[in-house]
Amino acid sequence: MFHKRNAMALLAVFAISMVLHAQDFKLGSRTVQMHGFASQGFAYSNDNNFLTMNTSSGSPAFTEGALNLSMAVTDKFRVGGQGYARKIGSLDDGRPALDWAYGDYKFAPWFGVRGGKVKTAIGLYNDTQDMAFLYTWALLPQGVYPTDLRSTLIAHTGGDVYGRINLKKAGKLDYTGYYGLRSVDDREGYTYFSAQNGINVDSMHGRTEGWDLRWATAIKGLTLGTSWANLTMHRNLNYVGGPYTGFYYTVDSRPDRAWVGYGNYSVQKWEFSAEYRSYNDLEYIHFLAIPFNMPLNQSTEAWFSSATYRITPKIQVGVYHSNVHYDNPANKTDSAANHIYDEVGTVRYDLNSHWDVKAEGHFMDGYGDIDSEQGFYAQWNPKGLKPKTDMLVLRTSYNF
Amino acid sequence: MKHLSLILIAAAVALCLSWQAQAAGVKVIANSSVSASTISAGDVKDVFLLDKDSLGGSHVEPVLTKGGPAHEAFLKEYLGKSDSVLQAFYRSLVFTGKASMPKTLGSDAEVVAYVAKTKGAVGYVSGDASTSGVKTLEVK
Repeated sequence: MFHKRNAMALLAVFAISMVLHAQDFKLGSRTVQMHGFASQGFAYSNDNNFLTMNTSSGSPAFTEGALNLSMAVTDKFRVGGQGYARKIGSLDDGRPALDWAYGDYKFAPWFGVRGGKVKTAIGLYNDTQDMAFLYTWALLPQGVYPTDLRSTLIAHTGGDVYGRINLKKAGKLDYTGYYGLRSVDDREGYTYFSAQNGINVDSMHGRTEGWDLRWATAIKGLTLGTSWANLTMHRNLNYVGGPYTGFYYTVDSRPDRAWVGYGNYSVQKWEFSAEYRSYNDLEYIHFLAIPFNMPLNQSTEAWFSSATYRITPKIQVGVYHSNVHYDNPANKTDSAANHIYDEVGTVRYDLNSHWDVKAEGHFMDGYGDIDSEQGFYAQWNPKGLKPKTDMLVLRTSYNF
Repeated sequence: MKHLSLILIAAAVALCLSWQAQAAGVKVIANSSVSASTISAGDVKDVFLLDKDSLGGSHVEPVLTKGGPAHEAFLKEYLGKSDSVLQAFYRSLVFTGKASMPKTLGSDAEVVAYVAKTKGAVGYVSGDASTSGVKTLEVK
């Protein structure tokens, strides 16, 4: 449901942020910095409604913002936290939530630790995916960074070890290792995908462990990296519609593994990026009235490649191809139910160093199948899904 | 004669442009608390990209200038990044809690005044700017 008061609150954050500037204030002898951002978008598609927005009628339900405070307590120890809120269609409802909050102690350039709620280092953009002002794009490649599955991987509550190793002439290697608990927002893709199948999600929780290696190579402008994550999730569900109404069951992902490879190359006014992800999810389904676990193995592959060019200091253009493919034996042919491909072209204009506007065209092929939990949902497409979707996205962001 | 005049005019223009380039060169300056008197180009880059927070055993923090010929010359000579790329880099760290936004000031005079009074501050100014009260680091 579109809660107008939450949308108004977000728009107020956006308006207020336009007149705010980054603030420094003193806490004792130490300086506390405050920064924030707000973003407002509009999406219009030809037929299918995308990301729980009524895009076929044009939707302005595309607002997000954040505010953070941070402080260097000593030369080696930092603390900080960020609150975040978004209202994108029915994804979240503008409820402010803790985005990250942690203490960070750097023993040496090659070894540090973080503890608290920490953004998870996976791939090129996982920990910065909310910050539209950092990118050319109005929407990051959805195959790899699905907006409707944000909370699945965005952060963990636990700890990281990290550091930078100087490889001399071979460049520098950044490493991160992490372990923590994770929770999944109940207003995101998994909940809506379940609902379209007559299933209510009572609860979801799990843990994650993994690592990320990022190599700034000896070739100027070239970064290569790889990530690996082992995810577990326990879900309590029950049927609320159809012939199984009243049946309670659990689903345990043990494990849901992700392997990621990525690269980025910047040269003069050009930037090229690519990322590949492979997910393999081994689930055990247990109906409470039946004493056995039913295994279900699913795999998904996703990747994108992109190129951007800065025409002037204020204007940047870019294109990307996003690709996600679901391995579902029920759909043996390369039908619209097995994939979502997206060809995108974007223009970004920087009004100043804090404020940008973007216009972006999406040309999508496919909509994913009944077992995919991203992109298109039956509740927002009651007349069924067309195989192709063209969509215009306009977006403006302000940061301070 | 006509060709000689053109050559002399071209030479004069070239000299003026060269003088402009030299005048827009930068000096790296530091607070007197910073024990180092020299710094490598690699260390300049590491300090301003927040990879290095000490020089010669002294804690250091970068100070930047907001725009201008000295800022552009510094970015080109030491960081190899445009201002927009550098700001995006800083913001990616600030909005994930990994770093604070470096201090940015509006003029050479403001940078010199701030570096002079701030322990560990390292900044840059135009080649012909007054650096009274701060030490100039020789870049090797």
